[in-house]
Amino acid sequence: MNIRLTAIIGSSFLLLVIFELIRRKYLRERYALLWILSGILFLSLSIRTDILYWISNLLGFTVPSNALFFFSLLFLLLIILGLSVITSRLSEKNKVLTQKVVLLEKRVNDLEKSHGTTNHCNP
Amino acid sequence: MMKILVIVPAYNEERTIREVIRSVRAALPPTDILVVNDGSTDATGAIVREEGALILEHPYNMGIGATMQTGFLYALKNGYHVAVQIDGDGQHNPESLPSLIEPIIKGKTNLVIGSRYLSDGGFKSTLLRKLGIKFFTNLIWIFTSQRVTDPTSGFRSMDRKGIALFADEYPSDYPEVEALILAHKRGLRFQEIPTRMRHRQGGVTSIGFLSAIYYMVKVTLSISIGFFRGSR
Repeated sequence: MNIRLTAIIGSSFLLLVIFELIRRKYLRERYALLWILSGILFLSLSIRTDILYWISNLLGFTVPSNALFFFSLLFLLLIILGLSVITSRLSEKNKVLTQKVVLLEKRVNDLEKSHGTTNHCNP
Repeated sequence: MMKILVIVPAYNEERTIREVIRSVRAALPPTDILVVNDGSTDATGAIVREEGALILEHPYNMGIGATMQTGFLYALKNGYHVAVQIDGDGQHNPESLPSLIEPIIKGKTNLVIGSRYLSDGGFKSTLLRKLGIKFFTNLIWIFTSQRVTDPTSGFRSMDRKGIALFADEYPSDYPEVEALILAHKRGLRFQEIPTRMRHRQGGVTSIGFLSAIYYMVKVTLSISIGFFRGSR
């Protein structure tokens, strides 16, 4: 019973933190989706422990907590993989953006030179 | 008259960049020289300005792939017909430049690779480098059925088609080998010509043992997966 209470408090806290992060715009809704899902899942599993028992029986885990560990791990892996995808996409966009800025900077410098104004951009 | 752009990727090459710019000018007088300064922390940028070459400056170090691509983007936007890539560390001999661009100007091929190993073999290599080169030669042969003796050479020239392709898509790190396979996939032709290379005048080699392993694994992975990508 104690464990169950701890689990409920813990997962409620997780959901609260996620909510607060989104409210303060530290976390975009888009990336928060998986986290919210995992929070809700943990909360429902701690309220209805019989679901966990049922799943672990169904899949043949000897101890229900092993099923919990297995699924948490799977969830974390998915989230981390998602983060790697986001990082890759960001670094590609960042590259394109930087190259554009570099080319524009040169154009601005050339234009300034051809108009005889002073050059502010070069250190 | 064909507009030729010599692109020099440079990261902390203050000891060699002046000599590279001057000898490129001496070897190919009517060309523009563009140094892409990849976030150098030394005097590279200042020296390039002193020499009056064109310069593009990355605000931070972005790696050789992005650096070359910045150069290709500039070449594309400014209507150059031929782009040449030559390292800023002085290991490529600019005297080979005329023969490097000749097949491009004559329209014989889309991309020319300057090879250290095609000529009299004056270039001494370590065992690891030899193994790596052999590995990449075979890899390229599998994917393109062409033998390239110096697949990692960064001494290259290309026509407008090559410029457009690489401005649009260029591999990030260790791009040389992948770029050849990419070019082949997009229907571009390439050939090698013999060039003499000096051992680097300044700086240290950018490839140690672990990086060499990473180089081979990364390129193999990216080529094998790229094989299933098809053309966009």
